[in-house]
Amino acid sequence: MGEAEEAAVPESGAVFTFGKSKFAENIPSMFWFKNDTPLYISCGDEHTAIVTGNGKLYTFGSNNWGQLGLGTKNTINKPTCVKALKPEKVKLAACGRNHTLVYTEQGHVYAAGGNGEGQLGLGDTEERSTFHLISFFTNQYKIKQLAAGSYTSAAVTEDGQLFVWGDNSEGQIGLAGEANVCVPCQVDVGKPVSWVSCGYYHSALVTRDGELYTFGEPENGKLGLLPEQLKNNRVPQPVPGILERVNKVACGGGHTVALTETDVYTFGLGQYGQLGHGTFIFETSVPKAVEHLKSHKICNIACGENHTAVISDSGLMFTFGDGRHGKLGLGEENFTNQFIPTLCSNFLKFTVYLVACGGCHMLVFATPRPKGSEEILDH
Amino acid sequence: ASMMADAGQGEDRSLALPSLPPMYLQPQATERIRIEIISLSLHPETTLSEQVQQLYVEYRFPGVPLAETETPLSLGKPHTGREIYFHFSKVIALDPEGASIQRELLFSMLQAELPGQSWLQFMVVSEPTPGVEGECEDVGVSYVDLREILLTGRDVLDPQDLGSAIGRLKVSVEAAAALCAIYCEGRRKAEEE
Ligand SMILES: [Mg+2]
Ligand SMILES: [Mg+2]
Repeated sequence: MGEAEEAAVPESGAVFTFGKSKFAENIPSMFWFKNDTPLYISCGDEHTAIVTGNGKLYTFGSNNWGQLGLGTKNTINKPTCVKALKPEKVKLAACGRNHTLVYTEQGHVYAAGGNGEGQLGLGDTEERSTFHLISFFTNQYKIKQLAAGSYTSAAVTEDGQLFVWGDNSEGQIGLAGEANVCVPCQVDVGKPVSWVSCGYYHSALVTRDGELYTFGEPENGKLGLLPEQLKNNRVPQPVPGILERVNKVACGGGHTVALTETDVYTFGLGQYGQLGHGTFIFETSVPKAVEHLKSHKICNIACGENHTAVISDSGLMFTFGDGRHGKLGLGEENFTNQFIPTLCSNFLKFTVYLVACGGCHMLVFATPRPKGSEEILDH
Repeated sequence: ASMMADAGQGEDRSLALPSLPPMYLQPQATERIRIEIISLSLHPETTLSEQVQQLYVEYRFPGVPLAETETPLSLGKPHTGREIYFHFSKVIALDPEGASIQRELLFSMLQAELPGQSWLQFMVVSEPTPGVEGECEDVGVSYVDLREILLTGRDVLDPQDLGSAIGRLKVSVEAAAALCAIYCEGRRKAEEE
């Protein structure tokens, strides 16, 4: 982004696209909503969902499975409002590899897209190109968070219950013996759950008291567990080695990122730099704080398949990992993998609020900093 | 930047899509070459000295400073059966048609009769560990034959495995259209003389 673009961004900000977003022919670009702002962004493998402050859902990207919920299977190359949901106010959305979940203020959970493993939670394995109500979630459940992985789905309620459905071939929804389930099932770790993330073939949850649990495919250290724990990989187990309270977790393709009050811990595969531990650690099962983020207060984390993005409380964004297709926001054709968190200088004059990472793309919502406030950047 | 309302679903005018700034207008394929150093693995039987701990890769391209054509980082040498991934992609905007040393050099590479003269060489270099005495040292070399790209008209894609004595280097080179333009221009000039 150059000065010209910066000048064009309204005070209320813009959504910026990087990598193979399908928007603007995959050239780094931006758009914004008139009289509305993004509240929440989620990226699937090749698609994107945006929830706005006015409660509208916009989707775009790959649509082979109907995951955009627009009633077609055509690729959609610009954000398109899902009109069928307009009678309700959308609050949350989560994009899996090829499906999408939404939650509305009316207390309804809807699902659309691929359903080969029952990840739509509709009791069968037939794909849907429009949003269908998951009847399990009557409005007695207040949903706090939705998550979706390769062929998995999860919901955390306000009162700390965790429900999961979809593919369990690797134990990635934590239901031990089941192969897959087509309706939401509760996973109980004996205490309230506050956060969940579904990666490609593994998942992680955080309890209200700040403990991190992982489950699913055990390879490459992405569960962060001790060798003797790995045989129980199909049920959630506590990750040793993070002494502080964990607030959030994000799972990528082969790596896991956990956010504590003071640090960002990463573990798993880091062959492209997605762990941020430098140019010698390409794999670790021991959670390790990312050295280069210690001087920043990080408040948000996101994982794509092979890349990671974090936002600091001063609205700076750092990205690391696989740089192909320009998805790190550091250059579209001249790029390289980043093995330590790299400040995204495109946004030095912006405050970054939201970031979401997909298979080969990244979306960012940022607003221009008021003139004269640049000193805030002197870190 | 001008704005367009979303015409996708007719009445949806809630979205602003600024037009792309001119900086994103890509040069024609005939004016650019893209080279990506993708990854490196070592043959199981390769034994490098203990001094060799981290490796980077570089190539020399006519008219481009070497600092721009070496991977910005050295990576820890790969363990057996593993690759290290650079994904170092660079687009080289070629000098425009006309008098240009860069174009002359490329043309002479494309015309070269002797094997080796039309090679774009990639060097694998060992960089001393920080804090350890030592010099950068070439440990391997590999190449892409630009003349072959010209003659086949095919870019080196999906990534090409470059065999070498010590391991395999994966690169991609998108250059066919640009090399063809340079060759045609060079031939035309030669005939005019
Ligand atoms: Mg910190
Ligand atoms: Mg050098």
